[in-house]
Amino acid sequence: MLDGMASIVELHAVHKTFYRGNQPVQVLQNVDLAIADGAFDALIGPSGSGKSTLLNLIAGLDTPSSGTAIIAGSDLTRMTRRELARFRADKIGFIFQSYNLMPVLTALENVELPLLLTRLTARERRTRAHTALRIVGLDERAQHFPRQLSGGQEQRVAIARAIVHDPQILVCDEPTGDLDRASADAILDLLQRLNDEFKKTIIMVTHDPIAARRAHRICRLDKGQLH
Amino acid sequence: MTRWTLVRRTLTRNPLRTTLTLLGVAVAVITFVALRTVLDAWSTGADYAAKDRLSTRHKVSYGLPLPKRYVDDIATQIPGVSKVTFCDWFGGRWAKAPNEFFANLACDSDAFAVYPEMQVDPRTLEAWKHDKQGAIIGDVLARKLGLKAGDRMTLQGSFYPGDWELRIVGTYTAPAHSPVDRSTLFFRWDYKNERVPERQRDLIGWVFTRVDDPASSARVSRAIDALFDDRDVRTATTSERSSNSTLLGGVSAILSALDIVSIIVLTIMALILGNTIAMGVREQTTEYGVLLALGFEPRDIGLLIVAEAIGLSLAGGLLGLVLAYPLVQLGLGQWLELNVGKFFPVFRISQTTALIVVGLTIVLGALAALVPAMRVGRMSVIDAIRRPA
Repeated sequence: MLDGMASIVELHAVHKTFYRGNQPVQVLQNVDLAIADGAFDALIGPSGSGKSTLLNLIAGLDTPSSGTAIIAGSDLTRMTRRELARFRADKIGFIFQSYNLMPVLTALENVELPLLLTRLTARERRTRAHTALRIVGLDERAQHFPRQLSGGQEQRVAIARAIVHDPQILVCDEPTGDLDRASADAILDLLQRLNDEFKKTIIMVTHDPIAARRAHRICRLDKGQLH
Repeated sequence: MTRWTLVRRTLTRNPLRTTLTLLGVAVAVITFVALRTVLDAWSTGADYAAKDRLSTRHKVSYGLPLPKRYVDDIATQIPGVSKVTFCDWFGGRWAKAPNEFFANLACDSDAFAVYPEMQVDPRTLEAWKHDKQGAIIGDVLARKLGLKAGDRMTLQGSFYPGDWELRIVGTYTAPAHSPVDRSTLFFRWDYKNERVPERQRDLIGWVFTRVDDPASSARVSRAIDALFDDRDVRTATTSERSSNSTLLGGVSAILSALDIVSIIVLTIMALILGNTIAMGVREQTTEYGVLLALGFEPRDIGLLIVAEAIGLSLAGGLLGLVLAYPLVQLGLGQWLELNVGKFFPVFRISQTTALIVVGLTIVLGALAALVPAMRVGRMSVIDAIRRPA
């Protein structure tokens, strides 16, 4: 619990160790973190401090070497690979630095992708994808391919893809890293709106201090430890 | 949008590579189809051979002659025989076009009675019996050489030197898609026999016998050979089917080689596919990583890769099959039927070959995708997303 609010992310004594050959590398050390449902938190820190690793653990892309990670009520440390995939499909929306849209699919089809894992009909999937594109202000570009969009527009399509299945948490890995200031501000406005209006919990890794200032809370990581 | 949309779009992502791979698979399939059809055509003769027909030749070799009197001996002394006829390989060339090879045989004027599958107009047969220099020509060969009833032609003999004047009295034909060679010329043996030197007279190449009951073929065969066992020239009699199989046995090494080549062709096709799929998977690793991050399972990604490979392989296979019909069946096939119809009387792509192509392209496509799909399945999501293309 965090200031009386329910925590959607609860990390206790989390350690993450990678191995370079036989050499262990401690990437996260004894991390305790609680993030309230509906929060907008930024994770900042120098390169190699463990920000992305922490984000990956929260998103269920990886599991801790030790400690517990309870995300949206699920203990990720006890989950199989398959259960983690199901967890990501239901609870997490991803926004990557380089958008990572499928170049062979239109904006609408890219947004529809996560819905292929649901039981929705084709018509329902299409309707929801249009709605998500409308939220990010790109419905008129639904039939455009990523190569026909600007970087800012691509990231907005990626955000539409991240919210189309109505996840509880949006994890954003340097969402403005590849954008100019104006486009970055537009993306941050959109994230803020998703947090304010749609009550999405947003966890954003960023190097950009201006982006970090948009968050309600800034968590600093250095050498694998939270400060 | 469905998962199939993703597969379809991925296949068209790199049009040049996809086109080249499709063509590679198509060429492999055309080659495979051509080889299989050669094998099929070769064995068609044996498969279709009449069960009630026996062929008798010199025991030592096909090339040595038999005395003509053996025909009468068989007809009169062997029980169970319904008809007997004979032929001799003449080996002449048409004076007008010596490079046009076609089989020409000097035969008994009743030869067609033993070969009812060769359809000859009764008036033509009648004319042949009354014209010692008459010849009956296969309709396919007649078309090729531009000959018709009433035309004259001169054969230049090789085994039997000299010019041999013949008059075409008509043509023989056969039902469509039957294995009968329609590119042979038959003329009267008695015409040849009159003109050859004394030492070559009254000799024939083979005796063909029809038996009353196909079940008695083996007994009649043995009886014929036993009849001539104590003569100067001993015989070897076999059923037509067995004779054809023996002929096939003689070229079994070639047939085996063709079989091996067809397997090599398929292996090359699988390697081409495997290379294309592996390149595609390497380029799309980040995208697969994103799909995994979105909640797709490694199994889903594996199925996408296998579907891409099968789609590509099947499309190439069907393209090859579609092209094989005009190229192999109508082009090469018609040429072979026309020019070496004796060996390839029916050169048609069989339904079995077409089904084998469809089946193999699916199986080979899946096999080509197996290793790349397994690699992606084992990769961690984070590694996949971060991996540079």
